[in-house]
Amino acid sequence: MLGINQETPKIMHIDLNSAFATTEQQAHPSLRGKPIGVTNRISKYCCVIAASYEAKQLGIKVGMRLDEAKSIAPNFIILETDPAKYHHIYKILFSIMSDYSPNVVMKSIDEGVIDFHQTNSLHTQSLESIGLEIKRRVTSEIGNWMTVNVGIGPNRFLAKTAANLNKPDGLNVIDYHNLKTIYRSMKLTDITGIASHFEARLNAANIFSPIDFFNATGDELKRRVFRSVIGEDWYLRLRGYEVDNIATKLGSVGRQFVLDIKATDERIILPRFHYLCETTGKKLRFNNMDARGILVWANFRSGDNWYIRKMFKTYFYTDKDIYQRALYLFNQRPKDLTMTAMGITCYMLKPSLRNQISLFDEINKSDRLTTALDDLSSRYGNFTVGPADIIKSDKIVKQKIPFGSTRYFELLLESSKSSETVNQV
Amino acid sequence: MDNTLLINERVEVVAVFKKTVDPGLLCFPAKMKYRNQLIEFSELGLRHPTTKGRKMIHVFDMSDGANDYRLEFDAESLTWTLIAIMEASYVGH
Repeated sequence: MLGINQETPKIMHIDLNSAFATTEQQAHPSLRGKPIGVTNRISKYCCVIAASYEAKQLGIKVGMRLDEAKSIAPNFIILETDPAKYHHIYKILFSIMSDYSPNVVMKSIDEGVIDFHQTNSLHTQSLESIGLEIKRRVTSEIGNWMTVNVGIGPNRFLAKTAANLNKPDGLNVIDYHNLKTIYRSMKLTDITGIASHFEARLNAANIFSPIDFFNATGDELKRRVFRSVIGEDWYLRLRGYEVDNIATKLGSVGRQFVLDIKATDERIILPRFHYLCETTGKKLRFNNMDARGILVWANFRSGDNWYIRKMFKTYFYTDKDIYQRALYLFNQRPKDLTMTAMGITCYMLKPSLRNQISLFDEINKSDRLTTALDDLSSRYGNFTVGPADIIKSDKIVKQKIPFGSTRYFELLLESSKSSETVNQV
Repeated sequence: MDNTLLINERVEVVAVFKKTVDPGLLCFPAKMKYRNQLIEFSELGLRHPTTKGRKMIHVFDMSDGANDYRLEFDAESLTWTLIAIMEASYVGH
């Protein structure tokens, strides 16, 4: 049996506590100490996507509907998300973390990992004192209401586990000395990546606690529990060996929208759909990608779901090409049902070949038009010039905060860098 | 439920620019005249930049100890706009 990794911990996980709700409390002193939550668009049945610690203490959970939250705490306050604010916080957090190592990866919009493996010798302080310094800097550079949890471990999994302890405002180290003690204090579902489905699978193999999980052999986890190499990964991960240092690549881009007016009427649906296609095109081009596949989907009040996807013969990236292809698919939807939500995803992406001049002038014209429109958007704001039917849609289909992804913020970060460069020129 | 009063009016502001190492406190509005009423701010909640096209706008979330105020400073036209007031008397009721 493989022993516990005895390497000195060199991975630090930083987690901004209840990020969106705390940011709103930072911005609005009158909300501090009160149960508040944040949602993408306020409506009777909207979901709480972030709750303050005061709300969590009352039993309000992320994902809970507003009416349920209000039944628990009638004084619960809900606010709409403010992406510009969170982008600012993300930028500062990323900048603070990057001061300590070039190996910083943001895992989601409110948490990131610093890998000190190549830079440890450059620091005279211990990782614990760097962690305390980061906490002080977050308070001083963002605001006195902002707190972070810092976790230090020999691999990403244990650093994240340490960051989940003693919330809010904790700092914990897990290494080979205290690893088993920590596991003994946890439930299976406290482990990142183990939800009820995996818990049931582990229970079926007589694994009822993290320490049982730790004591299981690699072969048992691979053959009996997970029935794949995932079992081997868990065997190593639980012992502090790194298996999660994997870069993800962009596989798809898309947008979705829960309709503000539930409708069958195309005059309501199509402008909003067109807007989703246009903004998907902007995302695609910003990532410098071309796509070949489109998936469109819709949900209906009846509870029915519908989707269709198609791979096209050629790659595309212009708004016009995306809309034409997506509309061709979208027109095949059931038209007599009341629609509640819809979305578009472009997939099968490859790095763009836009800088290659085409033999066909029509394609070059279309490329020049797209470039000109993107330049206008970048200088004067999105959709300063755009299709007439979407003229009001940007007020209705606002940019919302995506769960668990940093892509939106990376896009903003890049966009602010490019506009700073242009301003300097 | 919504305690935010949307204002969107130009206001007169006295701002402070500090020589400080704390980037959060480099610049902030100290007081504002809104409809002939003088409001003195006691706390800077958060300042964040945003853009309108390529126009740089600095958003200041301020408090006078009773209510919260959202002000925007347009760095191109050098104007201050009171965007909204969040009335604390409604918060939590």
